Amino acid sequence: MLRRFRHLFHRDEFTSDLNEEMQLHVELRARKLHQQGIGTTEARYMAQRQFGNYAAIQDASSQLWGWTAWERLFQDFRLGARTLAKAPGFTTVAVLTLALGLGINVAVFSVVNAVMLRSLPYPEPGRLISLWEEQVNRQALLQSNSTGTKVGNAGSPRRTTVSVANLLDYRKATDAFEGLAAYDFTPMNLTGNGTPERLTGESVTAGYFEVLGVPPALGRTFQTEDDYEGANSVVIITDAFWQRRLGGDTNVLSRTVSLDGKTRQIIGVLPKSFASPAQFGLKTLVEFYVPAAYPKDLLIARGDHEVNVVGRLKPGITTQTAQAALDTISAALGAQFPRSNLGTRAVIRPLHEDLVTGVRGSLLALLGASGLIVLITCTNVANLLLVRAVARRHESSVRLALGASRFRMIRQFLAESLLLAAAGCIAGIALGRALMSALVALAPASIPQIDHITMDWRVFGACTAVATLTGLIFGIAPAWQASQAHPAESLKNTARQAGGKSSVRWRTALTVIEVALSMILLVGAGLLLKSFVLLMGVNLGFQPDRVLVMNISLPALRYGTQSQRFEFFTQLEERVRALPGVMAVSTSNRMPLRGGWSTGITVDLTPTESHDCDSQAVTNGYFETLGVSLQKGRLLTSADRVGGLPAAVVNSAFGRQFLNNQDPIGRRFRRGPGTPWITIVGVVNDIRRSGKTGLITPQIYLPAAQSDIYPVRLADFAVRTSGEPRQLLNAIQGQVWSIDKDQPITTVRTMEEVIDASVSQRRFQTLLLVVFAGVAVGLAVIGIFGVLSYSVTQRTSELGLRMALGAEPRNILTLVLKEAAVLVTAGVAIGLAGSYALTRYLEAMLFGIQRTDAITYLGAMTLLATIAVIASLIPARRGSRVDPIVALRYE
Amino acid sequence: MRDEIPPGTLDMLILRTLARGEAMHGFEIADSIQETSDNVLHVEEGSLYPALQRMLIKDWIAGEWGKTSENRRARYYSLTKAGRKQLEQELARYGRVSQAIARILQPA
Repeated sequence: MLRRFRHLFHRDEFTSDLNEEMQLHVELRARKLHQQGIGTTEARYMAQRQFGNYAAIQDASSQLWGWTAWERLFQDFRLGARTLAKAPGFTTVAVLTLALGLGINVAVFSVVNAVMLRSLPYPEPGRLISLWEEQVNRQALLQSNSTGTKVGNAGSPRRTTVSVANLLDYRKATDAFEGLAAYDFTPMNLTGNGTPERLTGESVTAGYFEVLGVPPALGRTFQTEDDYEGANSVVIITDAFWQRRLGGDTNVLSRTVSLDGKTRQIIGVLPKSFASPAQFGLKTLVEFYVPAAYPKDLLIARGDHEVNVVGRLKPGITTQTAQAALDTISAALGAQFPRSNLGTRAVIRPLHEDLVTGVRGSLLALLGASGLIVLITCTNVANLLLVRAVARRHESSVRLALGASRFRMIRQFLAESLLLAAAGCIAGIALGRALMSALVALAPASIPQIDHITMDWRVFGACTAVATLTGLIFGIAPAWQASQAHPAESLKNTARQAGGKSSVRWRTALTVIEVALSMILLVGAGLLLKSFVLLMGVNLGFQPDRVLVMNISLPALRYGTQSQRFEFFTQLEERVRALPGVMAVSTSNRMPLRGGWSTGITVDLTPTESHDCDSQAVTNGYFETLGVSLQKGRLLTSADRVGGLPAAVVNSAFGRQFLNNQDPIGRRFRRGPGTPWITIVGVVNDIRRSGKTGLITPQIYLPAAQSDIYPVRLADFAVRTSGEPRQLLNAIQGQVWSIDKDQPITTVRTMEEVIDASVSQRRFQTLLLVVFAGVAVGLAVIGIFGVLSYSVTQRTSELGLRMALGAEPRNILTLVLKEAAVLVTAGVAIGLAGSYALTRYLEAMLFGIQRTDAITYLGAMTLLATIAVIASLIPARRGSRVDPIVALRYE
Repeated sequence: MRDEIPPGTLDMLILRTLARGEAMHGFEIADSIQETSDNVLHVEEGSLYPALQRMLIKDWIAGEWGKTSENRRARYYSLTKAGRKQLEQELARYGRVSQAIARILQPA
């Protein structure tokens, strides 16, 4: 082996040694022949003839050392680099095209990688699960039990958060779980530290950090003695809280903070890298954690599904095993507590899967689309290479004539393609970085971990793999072409005729593929675009313009009762209404698109049936503020107050769905046995409370003044203004602080911003796919243009002959356009089939249309055909202007 | 009348020639084989030099530069230990094969 390496590094010496040896041999042979009586010159020639081909022997000897294959490969790449450098125009276009395709791919893959592939930042993340409860329609279940029909009629189960009481039972599955911990958002007002601020925090059960496997950087985590009602007030803060709000004070563990008016002892600081599962998909930072310390009544309320649950499986336990253990418990609970638990089932799935579930489909669709773009760039570059291969046919045939093997030729051409791919890969990664930043800037906050997108080895690996693959794909056709050159051709000077039928066939096929791929992307983009337009046109049922909404969460310590909170807001409404430019004000627990409260009710018409219904407590100005109009009866008035007859306004869907279209006015409903009957006094128009994609559901509007009979908290404050709503913010803030100087205002949005945010993910997807389709169509146009231009050049003499024989320019134009039409028709036809097959992956992203929407397909076809015709007009016109004399002179 | 060297035996012939103990250069080896065989076997130069390289790689022979009687630089090849062993093996194999062939060709 050592000698082999020596050989590698002392090649020249080796060669000259061998040469000298052979030289001597020939001389000695010549002398011997001379001695045998042959003339000196003749003897030398004889000796040489006898010896044979020096170079071949050298080669054969050299090959024995085993480096030749490598050397040839290196030669191929070196030659490739030289030829590419000699054609800077071609190389630039090819590399840029590749960079475009690969760059888009790199950017999209980076997002997919960060969101879906990268594991969660916890130890052994594969063992983490999230737990939900599923409920089948209990009413249907109870009925089916009595009638003996199948439970399948109960409809698909509804997924909810988990009841704390049930969680205590699920925890008994100790064989399956190392731990199950609950968490929930708990925003609190931070006071005593500059201007009051509302911070996002989480209330978590003891063992939460142990389940995630994250020890604190300082101090300790929550223990069971921290986590009960009435325990000492403690808090664990994040590194960001510690650094930003406490200046990184080393004495932090002896400090306290005031949250919602309650002083809490800091017992721990989390590591800098820590992010809770709830943080993924959330733009605001979670800054503190408090013990859940659930109140006693919640600990026994099995029907109250309130909290999120994360758990860690025991090592070696599969999700299925754990699920089976939970099913046993769920069934037992259902039997023991049929009123609350019949039809309720705890379900688990891997935490990671759970976190990405909302964006998985659309990300995969985008990844697929970017893959199509790469294919299009491949066909485009292959097209370019084919043109070049034709121009180099002379070179190829000379090389073949000189004894190059076809294999060697193919290898040489592939080496060139791979070099192009490598350059494209590097440029693509650079472009991808830029595109990635753009993607992150455009992406909606709801994509988990979008802020943590970086390029890692996976991204680079994927890019390299794709680039190599593309290099081979787009290189194989031209390489094959070149190897098919005929040695004899080098002797004829027929550069113009060269190219041959086979090359045209290849190029035509490639262009058809390109058109087909663009067609698929165009249809996809069209479907999303149309969905988006339809979505934007959806009537919400209320007027969101010039409405400012904000959250004013009153801490329970200072505003313990509903009437205290109502009192605060009544005062605030009075003061704000007096501000200039304010047209209407209203308070509710939640304004539309900002969450809400749903409760089970029974209506007096059908007292045995219970329905789930959205309910809001609203002040009297609600309908005016949001622009909801009365259809029947009356709106809420100041007469609907504590002590008065419990009243409510419903929407018209309520009557349709719960009252068999009977007049709701005067009908009564209640939340459960023992709660007061509430009389319906008015009907208002339907609104889409959960946004444009939401369904119209029955709604109940309860007077905020009577909210002592419902468990809601007034918190959202809305103002309708005559001018630009944000201009009033400072004045409103001043009024809040004049009532309570410690009260922060948070999540201030105009209603239009709220609606905008609700469609941001769709806008993102649509925008990306439209851009992709644009790129694809652009590349396809270049492809069509190239093929036709080339074909016209090739047929110059033929077209000239036709002209000479009396063809009109118009005939020639038609001739070339016909060629284009064949290309486009074939491409579009294949594209249609492809679209039909692939749009099924877009189905979940569509709104209001079928994936087979004929108008979209027709539109895409028309658009593509029109652009293609325009692209082919230029070469066609050039063809029609061929001067017969000039053309014939070529012959 | 000259004959080509039967395939597979060139290595053995070179080794056997060198086994006489004298270091030789390429031409001498070719000449020696030709003369010893009474001009029946003719060594093709096209195979001789690659064969020598092959045997160098396999460490059956060693090459050393020296001077000819006429003061010309030449590479002199000599047998190594491994080469001697290889020669024994090849001779044994050749003996077996040629005996077997002889038995077949003998009239019964």
